Amino acid sequence: MSRSVMDNDFGSEEEDDDFNPGQAEDSGEEDNRQSARRGRHDEEDEDDDDDVNTGRGPRHRAGSEDDVRGRGHADEEEDEEEEEEDEEEAEEDADEAEEAEDDDEDANAGRPRKRRKRPGVHSFFEEEAGVDEEEDEAEDEEDELAEFGGEMHPDDMDALPVGAETDDRRHRQLDRQREMAASMDAEKQAQMLKERYGRNRAAATDAVVVPKRLLLPSVDDPSIWGVRCKAGKEREVVFSIQKRIEERPPGSRNPIKIYSAFERGGAMTGYIYVEARRQADVMEALQDMTNVYPRTKMILVPVREMPDLLRVQKSEELNPGGWVRIKRGKYQNDLAQIEEVETNGLAVTVRLVPRLDYGLNEDIGAPTADPKRKRPGMNPAVARPPQRAFSEAEAKKKHAKYLSATSGLGGKSWSYLGDTYVDGFLIKDLKVQHLITKSVNPRLEEVTMFARGSEDGTSNLDLASLAETLKNSTAEESYLPGDPVEVYRGEQQGLVGRTSSTRGDIVTLLVTEGDLAGQSIDAPVKSLRKRFREGDHVKVIGGSRYQDELGMVVQVKDDTVTLLSDMSMQEITVFSKDLRLSAETGVDGKLGMFDVHDLVQLDAATVACIVKVDRESLRVLDQNGSIRTILPTQVANKITPRKDAVATDRNGAEIRHGDTVREVYGEQRNGVILHIHRSFLFLHNKAQAENSGIVVVRTTNIVTVSAKGGRSNAPDLTKMNPALMRNGMPGSMMAPPQKSFGRDRMIGKTVMVRKGPFKGLVGIVKDSTDVQARVELHSKNKLVSIPKEILVVKDPVTGQTIDMSRGRGQRVPHGGSGGPPSAWNGGRTPIAAHDSSRTPAWGGPSSARTPAWGGAGSGSRTPAWKNDGSRTSNPYDGSQTAYGGLGSRTPAWNAGARTPYGGSGNSDFDAFASGSRTPAWGSGNTGNRTPAWSGSGSNDTKDRGYDAPTPGGNYSAPTPGAYGGAPTPGAWADSAPTPGAFNAPTPGDKRPYDAPTPAAWDSAGSRPYDAPTPAMGGTAATPGPGMYGDGDDGGPRYEEGTPSP
Amino acid sequence: MFFLKEEIKVITLHPSYFGPNMREYLINRLNEEEEGRCTGDHFVICVMDMVDIGEGRVLPGLGQAEYTIKYRAIIWKPFRGETVDAIVTSVKPTGIFTLAGPLSVFIARKNIPSDIKWEPNTVPPQYTDHADQVIEKGTSLRLKILGVKPDVAAINAIGTIKEDYLGPL
Repeated sequence: MSRSVMDNDFGSEEEDDDFNPGQAEDSGEEDNRQSARRGRHDEEDEDDDDDVNTGRGPRHRAGSEDDVRGRGHADEEEDEEEEEEDEEEAEEDADEAEEAEDDDEDANAGRPRKRRKRPGVHSFFEEEAGVDEEEDEAEDEEDELAEFGGEMHPDDMDALPVGAETDDRRHRQLDRQREMAASMDAEKQAQMLKERYGRNRAAATDAVVVPKRLLLPSVDDPSIWGVRCKAGKEREVVFSIQKRIEERPPGSRNPIKIYSAFERGGAMTGYIYVEARRQADVMEALQDMTNVYPRTKMILVPVREMPDLLRVQKSEELNPGGWVRIKRGKYQNDLAQIEEVETNGLAVTVRLVPRLDYGLNEDIGAPTADPKRKRPGMNPAVARPPQRAFSEAEAKKKHAKYLSATSGLGGKSWSYLGDTYVDGFLIKDLKVQHLITKSVNPRLEEVTMFARGSEDGTSNLDLASLAETLKNSTAEESYLPGDPVEVYRGEQQGLVGRTSSTRGDIVTLLVTEGDLAGQSIDAPVKSLRKRFREGDHVKVIGGSRYQDELGMVVQVKDDTVTLLSDMSMQEITVFSKDLRLSAETGVDGKLGMFDVHDLVQLDAATVACIVKVDRESLRVLDQNGSIRTILPTQVANKITPRKDAVATDRNGAEIRHGDTVREVYGEQRNGVILHIHRSFLFLHNKAQAENSGIVVVRTTNIVTVSAKGGRSNAPDLTKMNPALMRNGMPGSMMAPPQKSFGRDRMIGKTVMVRKGPFKGLVGIVKDSTDVQARVELHSKNKLVSIPKEILVVKDPVTGQTIDMSRGRGQRVPHGGSGGPPSAWNGGRTPIAAHDSSRTPAWGGPSSARTPAWGGAGSGSRTPAWKNDGSRTSNPYDGSQTAYGGLGSRTPAWNAGARTPYGGSGNSDFDAFASGSRTPAWGSGNTGNRTPAWSGSGSNDTKDRGYDAPTPGGNYSAPTPGAYGGAPTPGAWADSAPTPGAFNAPTPGDKRPYDAPTPAAWDSAGSRPYDAPTPAMGGTAATPGPGMYGDGDDGGPRYEEGTPSP
Repeated sequence: MFFLKEEIKVITLHPSYFGPNMREYLINRLNEEEEGRCTGDHFVICVMDMVDIGEGRVLPGLGQAEYTIKYRAIIWKPFRGETVDAIVTSVKPTGIFTLAGPLSVFIARKNIPSDIKWEPNTVPPQYTDHADQVIEKGTSLRLKILGVKPDVAAINAIGTIKEDYLGPL
């Protein structure tokens, strides 16, 4: 942008020098007026035309201004608009003329000349009138004097050209003009005017056509200096230069000797450019001006670069139906559709979706804005009403007085608060400079709002015009080398190829099909469209809300492509220019670090799987199956997938990541396991559209359909090899890093450094970490960090090395624990097994016993007590009740004993012995005796002792039957509770107590005690035996009895 | 399209398998691992025969043996434009999911003839033209593959039945 200023030409020699004067003068002058007016009226003027005008011509400015003002010449005013067109051509001529002048001006530059009585002359009129003003010089002067009243302040005289005081030329000119106009008939006059101002290009270009290169500046032309100024104040500076020139026009006493000044915003902020002959002229012109710093280093623009300074970017062409955005105000950044463009291209009528609140948010009681606030509506964009079609019903509610209906041709329109609303849209006249016309990039959802009448907005949408607008914004970045394209209009219509390079709006493509295959052809972006085939895998690169969506092309129709999103399995229709072939596989929805199907932690108890990634939010499916929309900030952290996570399904089969599973109950959904988190599985099911195929299930509710990679459910042999396992077993995993406990023993010790820059120095350890020590060196009185490994502990007195390894070093093997004896480790396993196998055994008896106590005490015993005499049946009953009541027989033999027994065989020393014991008597292995008896009776190994006390044995001994049968309950009572009690805790050690067990007695043949036992015999029906009776024959029972007698 | 392809696979064997049945074990292993595998480019349908099992090479330091097995397998590589028969696995408003052997093919709504309409109210839901053509779960379809998208260990394809001679069989 630049601003036209003025001028130069301190001696006007146009009369002499101008060849083709009419043309040049004319146009130059009109320009001046135009630009001057714009400068005054239109501060925001963005129009680039001015650039062109600046450099040349403005030499008559002051004069012509005067002219217009002084005489109010109406004719010219009207015609100005028409003239604009001619300017372009005319300016070239003007330039040429100027150059010619400049040439010989050099000789006498800056010197007011004798013939400058007529500066600022409106030479156009001279020519028309064909008057030789030289004759009138004297009169001119007089008239001029009269005009100014002859009493000018001497200061004002400065602004006037030399001799202006006595110039009445213009008066005479006007007179002449009027005279002539009167003499001509109207028709002729019209003809003349038309000729002069009409849009007759031919007339305008009649002038000599000069090749452009001749118009370029040469070394003979004035130079251009770049002057520093305050950034952002460029335009202001240019205006003040203009003002200064008005004050001191050329030809005045102290003229400003610069030709032009302009600025180029954008990249060149902080500079203005001044055209002048000499640097000193620039200095002088800018002297004492604010915001500009002529004293700093000026840049002389090389001749070669001068044209670039004035290069104009072609202004955006606005067409009705196109899309623009509003620069500021309530509708800032809103999309608007151009309804109408005024012929001068400066004002545009646009259609907007209104943002109205119909006075609903007016707060009557509100304090009348705080007075400090400069403008109440200063930032309307902050809380502006949403875009909504105008509704007269709403407007009537509160603002009926502001609403009035007008019916126009195209339907009803409303006038509301000074604006016009048609069909629900706001119709507004705006200046072009209030619009953003470049890279508007209308989004589909915005555009749909403009689709009249239709509910979904698509059917009525003029996609073609939209595409046209979008085309304009098609930047080179939308075409990348390698994109398949098609030329769809122009001469090369139908060509198909791949882009090889792009330059601005031109795309070079390599033709791949047809006769021209293999050739490179340039084509404008506008005539190209990307070409996709059905089935292509594409990515949406922009232009719509589907950005970054990946999918496969389902349908191609002209410019629109329908694709099936990989993520949502939904069909999306976008313009082909917004697509690009995608080489990526997999889903590519990303929001920062989050990706679809990621597992994230929402809070301590909740995890969720991302099912959709929007621009700013995530949609997640949490472990409870509910869908939530969250912000990325709400995610506590992302859980990195653990591929080796294992869970078990309902049947206990191992399931891993990647397995296909199916729900057992419910919807019987199935899918591939994506994440395993505690007891929740996130499955992915391709056939499901919702939640992008994610399902959450519990492990207890699924069964394996197929394991990944055909993993069989049978145990893997490789895992059974103990040698292999050693590496993989958790037990032998790497020892955790050794922890140091307590105070480091090194602290406070005197050490010597073995290596490094401090080698040989001695110091005291002040502090230490695992690897490093802070050592205060004796020599330097300085604390340095030194790795511990290069320190040697010394005795502070003798200087002898002390071995510190005892402390920490020796620990290592210990800490490593499992370290050395791997064999031992292996060996241990069986022991562990032993241990573990034992555990149940221990548990068995104890648990067995517990009920036994109960059973013995309350169940079986009681009955025995009860029916002292009639032991036969009652114990039975009693026992039955007791055992039955306690369920499942006695735990003693039922729970612990039986199972292990089967497994362990009869080996007495087996770990299971204790358990197995019990069954022993049941099985009748040892004859038909009571197990306990037989146990002790028949076997004499030392282990027996061990066995004997086993709960089984004990248990059997105190079996209710036996005791119940005992006629001397009292006597037994002493021992009766004991065996169980005593034996139980320490079977092995309690030998002595074993003795008292019936077994012992038996073997000892302690008859007296046996005697009571027969009672036991009588208790054939004793619960214990009775029970066994189930599995066995009755024999043992009786036998049991038999020995006793 | 089906191809007979020679491929090479390297199997490492733990020493515990060294023994008389090693060969069988290798063959089993090969069959187990290869058959039904999807490379992202093609499916291995069936391992035909071993061309060469080769000599095992004991890996230094590990004791495991490495066998390089050359074998021939029937593979299936789906191509764009290929016509295949498939079975409908599910029917959704957005389209039809089918399975052509191991390959899942999706037929978008756009690629279903316009006279075959989505009928959600029947049980099970179906696409039908209210005449003899009914597409529901389990229906056999003849379709043309429109596009194939290779993935790491899967292939996704879309297909069409909007052409002559395509549709339910």
